[in-house]
Amino acid sequence: MNYTFQWGEAFIEVPYLLGGAWITLHLSFIGFWSGATIGLFGALGKTYGGPVTVKLINWYVIFFTNTPGLVTAFFIFFGLPEFGILLSPYHTILLNIALNSGAYMTEIMRGGFVSVHKTELEAAETMGFTLLQQLRYVIVPHIAKVLFAPLSNWYIWMILGTAMAAIFGVEELTGRVFNRAAETFRSIELYTIAAGMYVAITILASSILVVIGRWAFRVKVKVF
Amino acid sequence: MHHLEVDGLTATYDGKILVLDGVSIQVGKGEIVSVIGPSGSGKSTLLRVIMGLLKPKAGHVKLDGDEVDYGNKKSVKALRDRFSIVFQQFNLFQNMDALRNVTIAPVKIRKRDAQKVEKEAIELLGKVGLGDKLHSYPDELSGGQQQRVAIARALALRPEILLLDEVTSALDPELVNEVLDAIRILAKDGMTMMIVSHEMGFVREISTEVIMMDEGKVIEVGSAEQIFDNPQTSRCQDFVGKILRH
Ligand SMILES: Nc1ncnc2c1ncn2[C@@H]1O[C@H](COP(=O)(O)OP(=O)(O)OP(=O)(O)O)[C@@H](O)[C@H]1O
Ligand SMILES: [Mg+2]
Repeated sequence: MNYTFQWGEAFIEVPYLLGGAWITLHLSFIGFWSGATIGLFGALGKTYGGPVTVKLINWYVIFFTNTPGLVTAFFIFFGLPEFGILLSPYHTILLNIALNSGAYMTEIMRGGFVSVHKTELEAAETMGFTLLQQLRYVIVPHIAKVLFAPLSNWYIWMILGTAMAAIFGVEELTGRVFNRAAETFRSIELYTIAAGMYVAITILASSILVVIGRWAFRVKVKVF
Repeated sequence: MHHLEVDGLTATYDGKILVLDGVSIQVGKGEIVSVIGPSGSGKSTLLRVIMGLLKPKAGHVKLDGDEVDYGNKKSVKALRDRFSIVFQQFNLFQNMDALRNVTIAPVKIRKRDAQKVEKEAIELLGKVGLGDKLHSYPDELSGGQQQRVAIARALALRPEILLLDEVTSALDPELVNEVLDAIRILAKDGMTMMIVSHEMGFVREISTEVIMMDEGKVIEVGSAEQIFDNPQTSRCQDFVGKILRH
């Protein structure tokens, strides 16, 4: 191997990269909750909606779950301006992440709705629960528990997926590595540091999720 | 006047086939009426209609002489305040531990004092032999234990009448007795019950009256001795004969 490592030059960039990691977290967090909101309505629509609603949601889900995120990102990036909608790269990517994960979460959450035991609700009904009380005491806690593990996994997956934003000039973690690698040529060192940061972020996020899962939902999620 | 009076009850799921076809049953206070009959004869449907889960097509249900109006929410609610049902598939709330399964309805729905309810729930769970499982979740309990929690949950609502729908048939044989024992204790306390069961020995031992159903109709009503030892109808003879030969 002829490569001479020069870590010093790369380590100077750590604060700059950490700033990028912060944007990565932002992007994944906002993207996740936007996607979760879309997914919730998508799942509700698919479970309780009429045939037209179901069909529209299906098209949306099929489109986004069967095209690479990168392709839909380009699609939005170049498509929207044609309609006179100009978004910053950050917001374009955010929109793409939200739509993309919304499609996946529609499917994940629908599984949650479907898995509510009808018999549990019947028992509740005979015990005098109103529909609203059934929702509050039986349906929502059940769905939250069932969905906790798959949504946690999805969130971790999303954090990594945000790296794609670099291609569009968003200065999140990978984007900032792009920038500095081009200037300093310390690519391997910088990517090593970035990889370490990604690992740290996902381990941290997983651990927090595991703790929340155990305490709040009695879900035994395993991380490693 | 009977405590519970079912008169000419008719019900259907699809609008065509009568799953219940003019069923009449009387249950007096403190009586234990068992319903037996082949699979698909409408036993569960009878209990479901009484509880207001399926609207009757004709006939009526009277409680202490007052007719229940199944089209009226208030009337159904009043009925549900006085009945509890335990299903074949325990139907416990999976997201709550045993104690909370028992306390939730009395506290959140009936708005009774939380501390008193909890004390009572602990006693009830003790009575069905689960004093040490208060904080276990349904998925940590055996089928028999879950069914006993379901019975405690039903009792916590202080029902005047308890409906039990094949509460042992989803259980492994060695777990059946622990649940039957719990019901025996209730019988000793004078609980009014309507029991659907395939446990013929148990039915015979515990019932004030036995009702044999087939194809949505009551075929024969009588004491346990009559139904099992001296059935009057050929249909009942067939059924009892088949079961006892097993
Ligand atoms: N939800 C339903 N929709 C349509 N038909 C139903 C439904 N539930 C029961 N049935 C039909 O109604 C009839 C009576 O069913 P029911 O469950 O009351 O019988 P059962 O006497 O309780 O039988 P088992 O001993 O097997 O529990 C059966 O023919 C059954 O197929
Ligand atoms: Mg049945």
